[in-house]
Amino acid sequence: MRPDRSILVLALPALAFFAVFSYGPMVGAIVAFKDFNVVEGIFGSPWNGLENFRFFFESGNAGRVIRNTLILNALFIGGTITAGMAMAVMINEIRFRLLKRTAQSVIFLPYFISPIVISVMLQAFLSGFGGSGGVVNNMLGGLGISPVSWYTEPGAWPWILTIVKIWQLAGYTSIIYLAAMTAIPPDVYEAAVLDGASRWKIALRVTVPLIMPVTVILLILQVGRIFMGDFGTIYAIIGDNGTLFPTTDVIDTYVFRALRTSGNLGMTAAVGLFQSVVGFILIAATALIARRVSRKSGGF
Amino acid sequence: MNTTTAITPTVIEATSETTPAQRRRRPERRVRGMWREPFVAVSTLTVTIYALACVVPLWIIFSSSLTAERTLVRTGFSLWPTDFSLEAYQVLFSGSETLVNAYFSTLFITVVGTAGAVMATLGMAWVISRRTVMARRLMVVVYIPMVFSGGLVPLYILVTQVLQLRNTYWAVILPLLVSPFLVFVAMAFFRSIPESVLESARIDGANELRTFFAIVLPIAKPIVAVIALFYAVAYWNEWFFPLLFISDQELRPLQLLLQNMIGNLNAAQALQPTSGVQAPVYQLRMALTVVTIGPIILAYPFVQRFFVTGLTLGATKG
Repeated sequence: MRPDRSILVLALPALAFFAVFSYGPMVGAIVAFKDFNVVEGIFGSPWNGLENFRFFFESGNAGRVIRNTLILNALFIGGTITAGMAMAVMINEIRFRLLKRTAQSVIFLPYFISPIVISVMLQAFLSGFGGSGGVVNNMLGGLGISPVSWYTEPGAWPWILTIVKIWQLAGYTSIIYLAAMTAIPPDVYEAAVLDGASRWKIALRVTVPLIMPVTVILLILQVGRIFMGDFGTIYAIIGDNGTLFPTTDVIDTYVFRALRTSGNLGMTAAVGLFQSVVGFILIAATALIARRVSRKSGGF
Repeated sequence: MNTTTAITPTVIEATSETTPAQRRRRPERRVRGMWREPFVAVSTLTVTIYALACVVPLWIIFSSSLTAERTLVRTGFSLWPTDFSLEAYQVLFSGSETLVNAYFSTLFITVVGTAGAVMATLGMAWVISRRTVMARRLMVVVYIPMVFSGGLVPLYILVTQVLQLRNTYWAVILPLLVSPFLVFVAMAFFRSIPESVLESARIDGANELRTFFAIVLPIAKPIVAVIALFYAVAYWNEWFFPLLFISDQELRPLQLLLQNMIGNLNAAQALQPTSGVQAPVYQLRMALTVVTIGPIILAYPFVQRFFVTGLTLGATKG
């Protein structure tokens, strides 16, 4: 094709954006190695080597936030992929077309609900209004279980947050799976039916194996990002409730709080850079492994 | 989904509405009586319950916003507004400028942000969808921010110190302007346009720019809608950058106002036109939530299929 430079005009706005807001901060990340002060700015402030990193790792918070980030993300990834796949397989079995269509559009809806709104709903359900106890505790009461003060119970929160993530994303994930299912040729099912297989057997032995490539892709995409916390949801729900930090404080929420309260920008930047670098290594590693696996299995 | 058939809008819409089962309807009919198949019955039941779990919480919020504070405090929530009251909405819509300001902020950020984002995204996507050396280089420029970032602190310093955007809408709009993921979704769509269509435009003497505006964009309407909707929802729901950069109460968008209200019951008093009267704080919180998600819920039935299109396109190509 004849090269036509005028087309570059179209790329300019996005290029300017990436230069300023993506690559700019990458250069600015050197602040992690500096004793930052506002007056001298990023480039003028004196270097202080790895002091900022040492400060973070010796603060006693590093272990906790790294562990929480990994545990919560593992729960989120496992939960949403499993629930999304299960939901897609089950939607595929429904015979009432109206129900099927309605279900498909309804379960995608939570994806559009903002974390703040989810937080409002969660508060209403878990603690109610003005100490009334909330729906969940009322239900527990019905079963003869004494009410739980959820917002002071750190042990429960990894699970509560996982349920929230599933609620948010299972529908979204299931749509991806349903799209993959449209590619399964009908004769595969016809053969299974002729063999007298039950729907359960067909789902287990035909549908699930045939959509496995999607699971692999989703896993690769998300495992690579396992070091990136979900700030939006976690901070909207947990906020500055220190009682819950032992199980819910992740790198992103820690960085945000440090930025707002400590004023030690160098240390905060060091945490962020550490996260980005480890995150990048994980993404690169999963991509490499994925490529090797796909080459061995003939590619997908 | 077949890439080459995806160029006409009608085909795209048809694909998004054809569910796997519809295509396989015939073989399924041979299995009579769903209730003889336990898995089908279990699936129907589970999906129904899960679908209800997706909407009932939103309904409870809505119903609670119409329930008088005294009942709300006693029962905790309300499946049906038995003790009906419009007090919260009266407070919300009477006089206080807080809600008007918040709505304006959210609308400004969403409309201006989405318009800019769509232009920047489509332009970039079109350029990298061309199979040239330059396109491949630019693709790397788009790809790197997807896997590596400088972190929050340099961005914070950039926005507050270098660009001096604190307490402006631009502090929320600009850092979120281009999503590399959506650039690649649009790119995948542009690549599916047959070269012959573009070739005929070139033979007619159109240059690259003209081809883009006169030929490509009209074909790309469905994907433009998808991308615009994704950005609009993201901007509407955004609260992290407002939290970080906006402290001026008059500039607070809806999500931040709501967040302030969860953290601090007294913030509800700011919505009161006159002081001294006890505000129905919980009911008000519910009403504000309804007002915040209202436009998304109302638009959802009409735009939902576009999202499905975008997602399937992103999933199969991205």
